Amino acid sequence: MTDNTLLEVTAELFASFEPGGDPCEWQGAMWKAAAEMGLPWVGVPEEAGGQGGSIADALAVLKLAGAHAVPLPLAETGLLAGRLLAAAGADVPTEPTTCVTSGKAEELVLRDGRLHGVAQQVPWARSASRLVVLLPVDGTWQTVSVPLGSARITALTNLAGEPRDTVAFDGAIPELIAEAGVDGEDLLHMGALTRAVLMAGALERVCELTVRYTEERRQFGRALARFQAVQHHVVDLVQTTASVGLAAESAVRRRLGGSARFEIAAAKLLASQSVHPAVRAAHQAHGAMGVTQEYPLHRFTRRLLAWRTEYGDERQWAARLGTAAAEVGADGLYPLIASGSHN
Amino acid sequence: MSTRPVLWKAFAPIELGEAERDLQRQVREFLARELPRGTFEPGLGMNNPADPEFSRKLAARGWVGMALPKRYGGGERTAVERFIVTEELLRWGAPVNHHWVADRQSGPVINRFGTEQQKERFLPAICRGELGFSIGMSEPDSGSDLASVKTRARRTDGGWLVTGTKVWTTGAHRNDWCIVLCRTSDEADKRDGLSQFLVDLRAPGVQVNPIPFLDGSADFSEVVLSEVFVADDLVLGKVGQGWAQCTSELAYERGGPDRWLSTYLVVEQLLREREQGSLPDDPELLTLLGEAVARWWNLRGMSLCVARGLDAGEEQAVPAALVKEMGTRFEQDVLTAVERLVALSPSPDSSSLFERLLAASILAAPSFTLRGGTSEIMRSVVMKGLTS
Repeated sequence: MTDNTLLEVTAELFASFEPGGDPCEWQGAMWKAAAEMGLPWVGVPEEAGGQGGSIADALAVLKLAGAHAVPLPLAETGLLAGRLLAAAGADVPTEPTTCVTSGKAEELVLRDGRLHGVAQQVPWARSASRLVVLLPVDGTWQTVSVPLGSARITALTNLAGEPRDTVAFDGAIPELIAEAGVDGEDLLHMGALTRAVLMAGALERVCELTVRYTEERRQFGRALARFQAVQHHVVDLVQTTASVGLAAESAVRRRLGGSARFEIAAAKLLASQSVHPAVRAAHQAHGAMGVTQEYPLHRFTRRLLAWRTEYGDERQWAARLGTAAAEVGADGLYPLIASGSHN
Repeated sequence: MSTRPVLWKAFAPIELGEAERDLQRQVREFLARELPRGTFEPGLGMNNPADPEFSRKLAARGWVGMALPKRYGGGERTAVERFIVTEELLRWGAPVNHHWVADRQSGPVINRFGTEQQKERFLPAICRGELGFSIGMSEPDSGSDLASVKTRARRTDGGWLVTGTKVWTTGAHRNDWCIVLCRTSDEADKRDGLSQFLVDLRAPGVQVNPIPFLDGSADFSEVVLSEVFVADDLVLGKVGQGWAQCTSELAYERGGPDRWLSTYLVVEQLLREREQGSLPDDPELLTLLGEAVARWWNLRGMSLCVARGLDAGEEQAVPAALVKEMGTRFEQDVLTAVERLVALSPSPDSSSLFERLLAASILAAPSFTLRGGTSEIMRSVVMKGLTS
């Protein structure tokens, strides 16, 4: 369903709400406009009340969300919580919904059908209607959906100012407990893929801003882009944008035909690894203008800094990929590089 | 918003087709049979030794001159198919040096700019893996600033007399021919008035002096040309068009797997050492391995985009420069990471293959980001591609 026209309309919508104001504040009008287009539920099957379309369609929308620093829980509502609900045979709600990996919900337990404990760094919990988590119950993964109305929510934010709240339950009654059909690893990989794609989008914007600024800003009688030392930063950014963009897109394509564990791990690793050099290069090329609230650069660089660690940082993914490489061994190493998850 | 095409959009995922994967299998089988691991000393990418016998065997399989027309003995295969063959050869450490330059760029350039007679004379021998070519671009006073070359060709009866000095000419002592860039006239723009000549490296007036590499090996040379006669029928392309011809050659030279595989075998051998228990089972090793595998996967994908772009007839000079700079920098970075991890004092003549590869790579590494155009020039090519 997400043909190019829809993506163009989506980009226009996102652009029309830029800048989105304080990222901590709920952007009700923007959510309403996005929801009317069905954007949060792209990639969630229609049978479950979703918008239909493929995972790749949903990720194309997310890439635009990254490129426009959209302050909404789009990944959480659709690809994460929405698909978990659909996989468990439930319908998706029409309100914003959030989700965390099992790693952030380790302290959550189900006792006698009631939910107890604390979930950490829950995106947009303060504005979401429900939290959807995967919990291992008696050796099987259960999808648990719980209304957030009765939860104790402590408002916290990530480096970008996006809500990442602490949510405590004391005997909340879930509205759904059902066999998940997926496991914690599936959710972790989908989460990492959403972040890699958001980051690829944000990097494009950082790169565009830097190319434009260094062409327009003049010092010593010439454009900054004419100085070799500045060109070095710009080229670094172009290379990073190209390589992370390709990595994320390759993972998306492979995910359409399988679990794409190798590609997702590599894409998130590369995206996370690129953050510090890219953020440094972009800010250095912008000079003092780039570190103001007024200039848009920080909206993207701060998100990159925050998303670097969400759903696994570069070291965690490197350890996983390294383990996979050691398993195939020296003779299988190049075939793994060349074929990835199709190896 | 700027409306110029965005450079990073040139990189989109590519899946190999069934025939391409089949070719990959064939090359792997060929190498496992012809050069079983442990029976030969693997080399580092395109620095590998020259073995004319191996080049001829490869050619007999149709894997030299793959990009050239069938009527000259070539395979009329795509740049992607050539990519598949070369990446397997390089990661295996196969001795590819004899046919390397002829296959990668001299053949394609002769095919593109040469006369019918030149094509018939050179291309079949290139496709048989027989002819070795050198690149006669750099000079003592012309490195990155290639348009400033001083080697000069003067008109004489039936041809030209070429005088000057070329340097960093890989393989000149063993190769047969060299494509020499020289000045044929003085023009207002120094990029005009340049021409390319096919020079027989054994012709009278050609003197090849080795330039020992810093590790003492001698694979590149100084080529001194003193009034070397080059007949009219060995002028390559149009007189005065040498600059344009040279720059078109660079996309073949810059975007391929030879720009990111030079140190691959060090990592593969590191893993083999670990399997054999000769290295402690260090979690840092797994991290290094994971990072390296991700980067190779990514660089390979980018490089494959350049090959597909060439097949589609698109200009790839800028994407190729972008990949070359990243790839060669990574070749060095991954090596540094291995050095830090293993904390050895590797000896070039150690009994351990891993140590020998490590030592050879460490000494070769400074040249990765120089040969084929320095990183600084690559960045400036990318920058011009962004702003022009």
